[in-house]
Amino acid sequence: MTALLRYHSALFLRSQRWLAPLLLYAALVAVGVRPGDPVPGSLGIAAAGLVPVSAWTVRIFLTQEPAAARAVVAAAAGRSRAHLAALLAGAGWAVLAGAAAACAVTATGGLAGTSGPAALLAGLLATTACALTGGAVGTLAARPFVRAPGWSVAALLLGSLAALVTTGSPAKHAVTALVADGGGARPPWAACAAALLLAAVTATASRRAGARLE
Amino acid sequence: MSTIVGARGPVRLAGVGRRYGARGPWVLRGVDLELPEGRLVRVTGANGTGKSTLLRLVAGVDAPAEGRITGRPRGTAYVPERFPPALPFTALGHLVHLGRLQGLTTAVARTRATRWLERLGAGGYAGTALSELSKGSAQKVAVAQALLAEPGLLVLDEAWTGLDEAARAELDRAVRERVAAGATVLFVDHDPRRLAGEADTVLRVADGGVGPGPREQGTVPARVGAKAVEPGPVRVGTKTPDPDPARGGAKPSASAPVRIVASGTRPLPGVLPGGAAGEALGDGGGTLFRVGGADSDALLRVLLDASWHVHRVEAETGPATGGGRG
Repeated sequence: MTALLRYHSALFLRSQRWLAPLLLYAALVAVGVRPGDPVPGSLGIAAAGLVPVSAWTVRIFLTQEPAAARAVVAAAAGRSRAHLAALLAGAGWAVLAGAAAACAVTATGGLAGTSGPAALLAGLLATTACALTGGAVGTLAARPFVRAPGWSVAALLLGSLAALVTTGSPAKHAVTALVADGGGARPPWAACAAALLLAAVTATASRRAGARLE
Repeated sequence: MSTIVGARGPVRLAGVGRRYGARGPWVLRGVDLELPEGRLVRVTGANGTGKSTLLRLVAGVDAPAEGRITGRPRGTAYVPERFPPALPFTALGHLVHLGRLQGLTTAVARTRATRWLERLGAGGYAGTALSELSKGSAQKVAVAQALLAEPGLLVLDEAWTGLDEAARAELDRAVRERVAAGATVLFVDHDPRRLAGEADTVLRVADGGVGPGPREQGTVPARVGAKAVEPGPVRVGTKTPDPDPARGGAKPSASAPVRIVASGTRPLPGVLPGGAAGEALGDGGGTLFRVGGADSDALLRVLLDASWHVHRVEAETGPATGGGRG
């Protein structure tokens, strides 16, 4: 699995496909967060911005290989494992970017009444919840479910929006816990666990669907 | 480069069907097939009948929509007809990634990748970006990745296309090495002379099914003595002993004597399988071994283990001098 993660990540990094989603994320955080703002609310905004970014990143990981290269890798390492590794690597890079943003927001924001470590913990949990929910959206909006690029991007955008506003979405719960809470940053454990479950279910569905849909 | 693949069961396809998309037409359906180890299997059929689909299923590139495929060995490699150079790696960098995917360490992958690129005549392109390679050189990279980790199952979908003469011969040689080492090699090639007469089994893909193909004229296969076991409706054409005399295969060719021409510098064991003795041919033509068919596999393994180069494996045409019953 390490070799697969390394291969997918190398493809992502060397092809500069990482640049566009990272710029989008930087722009979202820069617009939504001002230095000196209360930390919990800023962490919530940074986490919310990660939903479309993570969805996009996961979609890139699923589609960045030419078909023949994917065939060669599938034979060498297993079709299903290669697919799972692409999902894991995509979500992993999104979590990494979100964690960096959470650290930066905590360091520059105003800690009115909350301790830094407690806020950071809550921020990292919300980041993970949003990255995994976004990753689930990206998984469902890409091959093997949606193959036409136009529909895929439309599904990606609408799905990300829905993940942020729909009641019951782990991303919405995680963000609400930070933004709505009047200063006290409660760590959104439940939302994080729910997002993990959601990501696992969509990943399994995506792996299974390949045999029937592609 | 000829590790003997450990004993394992055959790759088995049971009731396998494949269609593209949830409602697409079935390309293949109800395929029951057994591919034992140490077999060279040629897949024939007209364009668009599903040869590539069968190869992709066996290689594990595609999952069957119905049925099961079991017994695929840990080391499986696939060479597509066209390899995309649209990857942001150098030739060597890509091969190292693929080697690691097949369980090699980075150092071993690098060494073997360099060696295979040199064997295929692309040693000078190791540091070249894949996107700058010609079609033929990119195909050499695709072939090299498949041979790096000495796969137990090698699937070649017109892998020879685009290769130059020397590289095609080298791939032929690599295929023989893999088969002699106990690997299953499945291939499609539009050139009927490709490994002509060497395939142990010829399959024909037609009308959504897989059946026995035409028997190839020519030499007795390198792999003899292995029995084909094909349960189910699909009968697989094979050049090994056929239990059904009505199909014309009653002769026990497993013990028919075989001539093996090989050359090498390393010393061989004192006693060779089947009591074969080397006989030098003139003009640097190598060494001729005559051996009973039942021992030909063992002799080939000994030769390949000693890094000998096997030129030909053919049926004994004259009076038998080996231990065969002929």
